[in-house]
Amino acid sequence: MAAKPGSAPVTYSPNLGQKTRPPIFKDNDLDWVRPDGRGFHQCRPAFFRTGAVNSASGSAYAELGSTKVIVSVFGPRESKKAMMYSDTGRLNCNVSYTTFATPVRGQGSDHKEFSSMLLKALEGAIMLETFPKTTVDVFALVLESGGSFITLVTGDLPVVISCASLALADAGIMMYDLVAAVSVSCLGKNLVIDPVLEEESYQDGSLMLTCMPSRYEVTQLTFTGEWSTPDINEAMQLCLDACSKLGKVMRTCLKEAASASQE
Amino acid sequence: MRGLQLPLSQTQRIRLQRALEKLQSLSCKANSDASVTVADTIPVNYEDALLKGHGTTDLNGDLVATVCGVVERINKLVYVRALRARYKPEVGDIVVGRVVEVSQKRWRLEINFSLDAILMLSSMNMPDGIQRRRTALDELNMRGIFEENDVVCAEVRNFQHDGSLQLQARSQKYGKLEKGQLLIVDPYLVKKSKQHFHHLEQFGIDLVLGRNGFIWVGEHVEARDSMVVDQANSSEQSMVPEEKNKTHTPLEMRQNICRIANAVRVLSTLGFSIDADLILETVELSSTVKIDIHDMLGSEFHVLVAEREAERRSLVGKRKR
Repeated sequence: MAAKPGSAPVTYSPNLGQKTRPPIFKDNDLDWVRPDGRGFHQCRPAFFRTGAVNSASGSAYAELGSTKVIVSVFGPRESKKAMMYSDTGRLNCNVSYTTFATPVRGQGSDHKEFSSMLLKALEGAIMLETFPKTTVDVFALVLESGGSFITLVTGDLPVVISCASLALADAGIMMYDLVAAVSVSCLGKNLVIDPVLEEESYQDGSLMLTCMPSRYEVTQLTFTGEWSTPDINEAMQLCLDACSKLGKVMRTCLKEAASASQE
Repeated sequence: MRGLQLPLSQTQRIRLQRALEKLQSLSCKANSDASVTVADTIPVNYEDALLKGHGTTDLNGDLVATVCGVVERINKLVYVRALRARYKPEVGDIVVGRVVEVSQKRWRLEINFSLDAILMLSSMNMPDGIQRRRTALDELNMRGIFEENDVVCAEVRNFQHDGSLQLQARSQKYGKLEKGQLLIVDPYLVKKSKQHFHHLEQFGIDLVLGRNGFIWVGEHVEARDSMVVDQANSSEQSMVPEEKNKTHTPLEMRQNICRIANAVRVLSTLGFSIDADLILETVELSSTVKIDIHDMLGSEFHVLVAEREAERRSLVGKRKR
């Protein structure tokens, strides 16, 4: 894509009309069986527990299938950098992977893209004006990754977001609502919810939706790949349904923890 | 993991469960209808003119909670008290803090609050006791009074307009705490009472219950009287603190400090409110049962303390009726 000499520099635009690989599903192929035997519109069973980390203000552990995430929240506490007075608080997110999180043992890395996506997802739900001049630190550690993290979206990020909102609720930080996140993959004409690594490698497009179930408000929406408009509508509807169910599971977890500690 | 994480044998588990159930049945506050999680609607009578307090917000005319906690109603005020939140300071509270930074004319202390608390040099009594204006020399000698990582006891003076906290240490009972242990428990376990400084005579130990959850257990120090001294005496007095540093704390005193500290740790793990009487009873229990100091943190002692507390509260309840 070399610019012709003497012309203004062109902006990069994708080369349309050239598919790099043939579609996996030739016809309406409904014979795809999911590796773990779920239905197409069935999420993995979720396990949540708060109070995982003693030394943190709030913490939560989440397990969805083989994805295991632990999130600890510190704060509100004094900002380390000397900051100008601000009448809203700051949220500082950090997502990191352990070295043993992926099937191939690699270098545990600090994901800046995931950290900024987590920040954007949680920002809309927290009442930042209740802790001015201070910072809330959210540290997410992925112990085992069920999805690929080579593609930016899907995989572990929905689990990280839901777990982080539980940890924030556990720390007593004021929020408008809990935040639940679900991802959907488009495999040909089929929509597959909560995809695993194998399904993600075959996908045509993916969508991650983060919403506040009780308020029916979306805080973050991420699309990648190829989508047709009717598929987009159907996928979003699926995600919203799944998020409200996930929200109920998270609430029961919080209620159990609260009733246990009231003794 | 939070909560009781002790290796309990089967009988110990049953005994502990029974004691905790008894305590729960005795407490009148077990009302699970009042607990809410984030974005739960709070049941209210909408015709009343309500005051929406902390932890609530308005959503389409409904009153909705923003934290996980228990709904409290006082007259027309409805608010949600969070189960686990930072310490909420009130003016006049006694707090124990650790010095984090020495800056211009003030010390910054870490108490268990969202911001660091500030102790101004002018809110601190000078070592020679004279009430005077603080000079530049005083400012340069601040490190001689408190350094980083010193434990200090002070009182909440007021809140600044931007939300930060100001402390004062104007009488002799406040100030630097030495020769002891600092314990950190949850702030809600230390309730407001008339006395936060306790001198346990039979052990010769000072106990300071800070309302922010920092508890100090240390050797008893006589409060120095703030007489005006002239230069000759001041040089004599400046030698005495050095000598005090060199005096060795006797082994028995250290053992007593550890015993009391372990008693506080056991009470905080079990979630009981901490006050001086309860600590003394726990220490007596440990000496009657002849438990070693390091065994106090084991499961058997935890179960014993829970059972004792259940008995004590049921006796108190019976006496009231």
